[in-house]
Amino acid sequence: TELTENKKEEPKESWKDCIYNPRTGEFMGRTASSWGETVSMFTLDDNVPRYQDRVANPGLVIRPHAAEISFNRSDPTNYNQYIQNLHNLLQRYNDSIQERNDLCMVGEYTEQDNEPIKKVCQFKRSMLRQCSGLRDSSFGFAEGKPCIIIKMNRVIGLKPQGDPYINCTAKGDSPLRMQYYPSEARLDKMFFPYYGNKAHADYVQPLVAVQLLLSREDLNVEQTVECKLEGTNLRNDDDRDKFMGRVVFRVKVSE
Amino acid sequence: MIYKIQATSQGHFTRVQHYLLYSARQKPHGEFNKARWLYFGCSQLLVHTVRMPDSTYGRSDSYRVATTQDKADRSPKKKKGGTKDMDDLKKEVPITEHKMSIEEVCRKFNTDIVQGLTNAKAAEYLIRDGPNALTPPPTTPEWVKFCRQLFGGFSILLWTGAILCFLAYAIQAATEDEPAGDNLYLGIVLTAVVVITGCFSYFQEAKSSKIMESFKNMVPQQALVIREGEKVTINAEEVVGGDLIEVKGGDRIPADIRVVSAHGCKVDNSSLTGESEPQSRSPDCTHDNPLETRNVAFFSTNCVEGTARGIVICTGDRTVMGRIATLTSGLETGKTPIAKEIEHFIHIITGVAVFLGVTFFILAIILGYSWLEAVIFLIGIIVANVPEGLLATVTVCLTLTAKRMAKKNCLVKNLEAVETLGSTSTICSDKTGTLTQNRMTVAHMWFDNQIHEADTTEDQSGASFDKSSVTWLSLARVAGLCNRAQFKAGQDSLPILKRDVAGDASESALLKCIELSCGSVRAMRDRNKKVAEIPFNSTNKYQLSVHETEDPNDNRYLLVMKGAPERILDRCTTILVQGKEQPMDEELKEAFQNAYMELGGLGERVLGFCHVLLPEDQYPKGFAFDTEDVNFQTDNLCFVGLMSMIDPPRAAVPDAVIMVTGDHPITAKAIAKGVGIISEGNETVEDIAARLNIPVSQVNPRDAKACVVHGTDLKDLSQDQMDDILRNHTEIVFARTSPQQKLIIVEGCQRLGAIVAVTGDGVNDSPALKKADIGVAMGISGSDVSKQAADMILLDDNFASIVTGVEEGRLIFDNLKKSIAYTLTSNIPEITPFLFFIIVNIPLPLGTITILCIDLGTDMVPAISLAYETAESDIMKRQPRNPARDKLVNERLISIAYGQIGMIQALGGFFAYFVILAENGFLPSRLVGIRLNWDDRSTNDLEDSYGQQWTYEQRKIVEFTCHTAFFVSIVVVQWADVIICKTRRNSVFQQGMRNKILIFGLFEETALAAFLSYCPGMDVALRMYPLKPSWWFCAFPYSFLIFVYDEIRKLLLRRNPGGWVERETYY
Repeated sequence: TELTENKKEEPKESWKDCIYNPRTGEFMGRTASSWGETVSMFTLDDNVPRYQDRVANPGLVIRPHAAEISFNRSDPTNYNQYIQNLHNLLQRYNDSIQERNDLCMVGEYTEQDNEPIKKVCQFKRSMLRQCSGLRDSSFGFAEGKPCIIIKMNRVIGLKPQGDPYINCTAKGDSPLRMQYYPSEARLDKMFFPYYGNKAHADYVQPLVAVQLLLSREDLNVEQTVECKLEGTNLRNDDDRDKFMGRVVFRVKVSE
Repeated sequence: MIYKIQATSQGHFTRVQHYLLYSARQKPHGEFNKARWLYFGCSQLLVHTVRMPDSTYGRSDSYRVATTQDKADRSPKKKKGGTKDMDDLKKEVPITEHKMSIEEVCRKFNTDIVQGLTNAKAAEYLIRDGPNALTPPPTTPEWVKFCRQLFGGFSILLWTGAILCFLAYAIQAATEDEPAGDNLYLGIVLTAVVVITGCFSYFQEAKSSKIMESFKNMVPQQALVIREGEKVTINAEEVVGGDLIEVKGGDRIPADIRVVSAHGCKVDNSSLTGESEPQSRSPDCTHDNPLETRNVAFFSTNCVEGTARGIVICTGDRTVMGRIATLTSGLETGKTPIAKEIEHFIHIITGVAVFLGVTFFILAIILGYSWLEAVIFLIGIIVANVPEGLLATVTVCLTLTAKRMAKKNCLVKNLEAVETLGSTSTICSDKTGTLTQNRMTVAHMWFDNQIHEADTTEDQSGASFDKSSVTWLSLARVAGLCNRAQFKAGQDSLPILKRDVAGDASESALLKCIELSCGSVRAMRDRNKKVAEIPFNSTNKYQLSVHETEDPNDNRYLLVMKGAPERILDRCTTILVQGKEQPMDEELKEAFQNAYMELGGLGERVLGFCHVLLPEDQYPKGFAFDTEDVNFQTDNLCFVGLMSMIDPPRAAVPDAVIMVTGDHPITAKAIAKGVGIISEGNETVEDIAARLNIPVSQVNPRDAKACVVHGTDLKDLSQDQMDDILRNHTEIVFARTSPQQKLIIVEGCQRLGAIVAVTGDGVNDSPALKKADIGVAMGISGSDVSKQAADMILLDDNFASIVTGVEEGRLIFDNLKKSIAYTLTSNIPEITPFLFFIIVNIPLPLGTITILCIDLGTDMVPAISLAYETAESDIMKRQPRNPARDKLVNERLISIAYGQIGMIQALGGFFAYFVILAENGFLPSRLVGIRLNWDDRSTNDLEDSYGQQWTYEQRKIVEFTCHTAFFVSIVVVQWADVIICKTRRNSVFQQGMRNKILIFGLFEETALAAFLSYCPGMDVALRMYPLKPSWWFCAFPYSFLIFVYDEIRKLLLRRNPGGWVERETYY
């Protein structure tokens, strides 16, 4: 009889339970602690976003910031905006600034997850040589051999596997001569991972400059160049995202 | 509130027709604001003409069509503008030939009584008057109707949206290398939505009215005419005025004819007047009224027997039938109330959409957006503002109701008419049973000089008189024997009152009464074998039968008779009192008169009963009773008693009207008073005059709340006078009206803002049926024409279906409100994203495609499911809707949907949006003002709040994930919305969750949302992305908030009737 009595006491299940279930203490299908967890889920970490799946494969971008770089090499006003853009980018890479940063182990990740103050690996502007804008402040634009700087998007915690490097190819009949700086166009592993703009405020991402050594015949002809991130697990062949691990740009130098 | 009653016909126990018009209108001036609800259950009942079922005692006396003779000239009408023409048709029939002598008629038409017309004359007349055929009115071509559907309602807005989409795409295609297909696809989708909705409505509306065809079916094909002395059969279309024609039994009359000679000719005018008994025709003018005189036969009526010869006086559209046909098919019918409501609501929504669209277009231009961007914003605002699926939802809801009504034998021809009965404030009907059960029952008896109440309980527990009284037994014997009704076979297990009877209503009532109180009538009849019988006929007004007696030793015959009380009394010289035969003296006669008056005054149908034991010496055993040539005594009988019958009121109609015979307007008034149509204490002008003993002319008409209008007076009334009567009297009785007058009454009521329903079955009812807001035709007894003219057909002729119709109509109106409130709510979370996108420059939170997914996808089933919601309270106790105040969509509904619930929903959606962006790295602070960079395709290193950099495509995926989450959030908050929309006043806990369709709808919309989010390929097809499970819960608190908020609102609403909350939020 006790059993049946117990049964009677227990309120019948009804649709109202969806809102508040007195037996389990569930409110809208969750207990108080479950609600607590839910609420805490919405509190965010200062340094790492909760989800990064959408930026798992970083994009590539070029400087100067333009899809089509077209200028007259004999008219400086024509390409001033480009070289200004490059100077701006490289401001943070000035040797004077970079000398304050640490030298890191080449070819190895600079992991410092637990350090409270994250060190920044040195990337001196001078490493870009002819494309550093130091000796030739026109980045080769005046000569008709423009330097294009390629950078990979920053993604917190990203550690590219293998030995990532940039490989540019000209789309066209005649092969185009190109010179990479630093040589081998490597994005050294020492610059990874990135710890975010709060913890890693002075971080600079590695750059690769590519100088298009245009010959006289190439003048006045539009050159389409595609640069890809290679030697790593990161994707560079997404159908829809034309900037994921790759970048396409056009250059036309006139006289 | 106005009641009007009309009655025609003469003599006792004849069929009655009353009009009772009971209308409830809140008039704009307080002076007339005296709505008083007498019939709670049937407050919808207004004008009511009741025609009692034909009884054995019923001389079929039907609609009398009053006519005037003043318009003597039958000049062919010229088209002087449609209105004038119609007004003309609404006047009475201008036939005068029946009063002329045959010679005069011949002279008028240049015809000869023997030779007929000459062929030349006939040809001349044919050219002058045109063929003898009904001309159909001009109709709107189908493609015009289709275009109206394609460009009506929201379609214009959506077309604008679609055209803007194509325009935007064209600009993009011209200026960009790789134009995004979004605008093209959206344009195609919008076009498809408009076209599909247009087709949908077109096919719903394509109930091509076949009124004229149904009239044409009545027209005969051939006619036998005499021209130049020779009988020729010609095509009926070639018959002209003046033609001498011959008709015989079985023919249809090919035109309106003046009879010149007839041999036993009888015509059946039922198709025209509803009068069911054939009437004889002769050359003599018997009545001033052309419709009543015997020397006119009408186009399309049937000659049932005999032969007749006549001169054609009217052909084609000028005939009585032609006038009705032209009038009916030419009548402009107004929009149905629900169509007006929907139009009103479309205006509101369109207004909001255009206002917001234009404002933000201008704002966008001022803020420096490009034209293209501004156009795209405009598209977004239009798409978000228009509830694309709503019109389809409304149609589906109405269809569902129509189907439900069709199951109850109430066929709705015009979908929108489904709701009309619910808002009806006036019913004009010519049938009993609207208010009564249409089941005659014995109510009272008078014998032994006393009125007794009949006991109709199954177990005879309510007996109020001594059943052993000899008089009663005699009365029961007469009622049982002089009765041709009998129970249908195989019903012994059923309670007596529920058994089916073969026989007319009065006899059935008597049979059941006797069976209940005295046991088997069949056994009684077996004991008293019937030897002769004279069935009822209208001249005698009695029915008699002769039986053997129960006692085998008694060889006398028993003669029993029943009939009209005064006729029976005339044949009686004695009366049975306390079982003893007493001579009929003045005192007893007066007692009889009093009882008769009293029962008649109760509105009951009274029958008298008498008997006599025929003396054996004159009528020995085996006497051959000749019923044709009566060879036995039918007077000097012994009066036994009276029995009176009523048609009891419907249970659903508590203060039921008891419809009883009453033949004069005076009787009609008595009935009206008896049944509460003219309520107690209310007097007519005549009553006041009688009470104060002053002439009628000295009474201030304003003092009289009740009024009796005679049909003959009605036709002399001007429109203003008519309005005056309708407005200044709360209770009006109309008596004796013609079809034209019926139409005038309908128009009068409509002019004063009433929504009028008309029922009818005859051809002559069709103008009123057509003109009424809702015409109701009879499925079995109704003529084809009336069915075509009506919006609704009662398949089983059962008026109970009208009550069903009223109930369903009111319910669907309430439920449509709920459905619209539900659908409109989601407009706010659809519009606000655009507004914030433009004003604070955040990435777009909700795209146009996802908006369409809500409007045409997830919102549909729940919105439709609200049509299945049961009523919150007794909707039959409510007053009929006041079309001026009680709108389908009013500002309170908009306030709740847009201003309150919609806002909470928008909060929920934005919350999900900000959560997703924040969790992906874009904190709200970063988002404000980010739009230009965000939507810039060449920016592929956009920095988020954490310093990460995003390509265009990467952040777009996050944006589309936000759209999906916003969409899912709307689904989640719409869960709560559909639950709160279930009720407008009650708590959901009172209403319960018994609506299975609604529960299905909840699961369906959730499943659809999940499908759209998770189905592979959706990222390409609709740009919807899978959500992380936690994102589904973002809107849960808002959903809960909506529920609590609205429950509190409704609680306050119930606690504080008429208070602020109700005034501001009860929609």
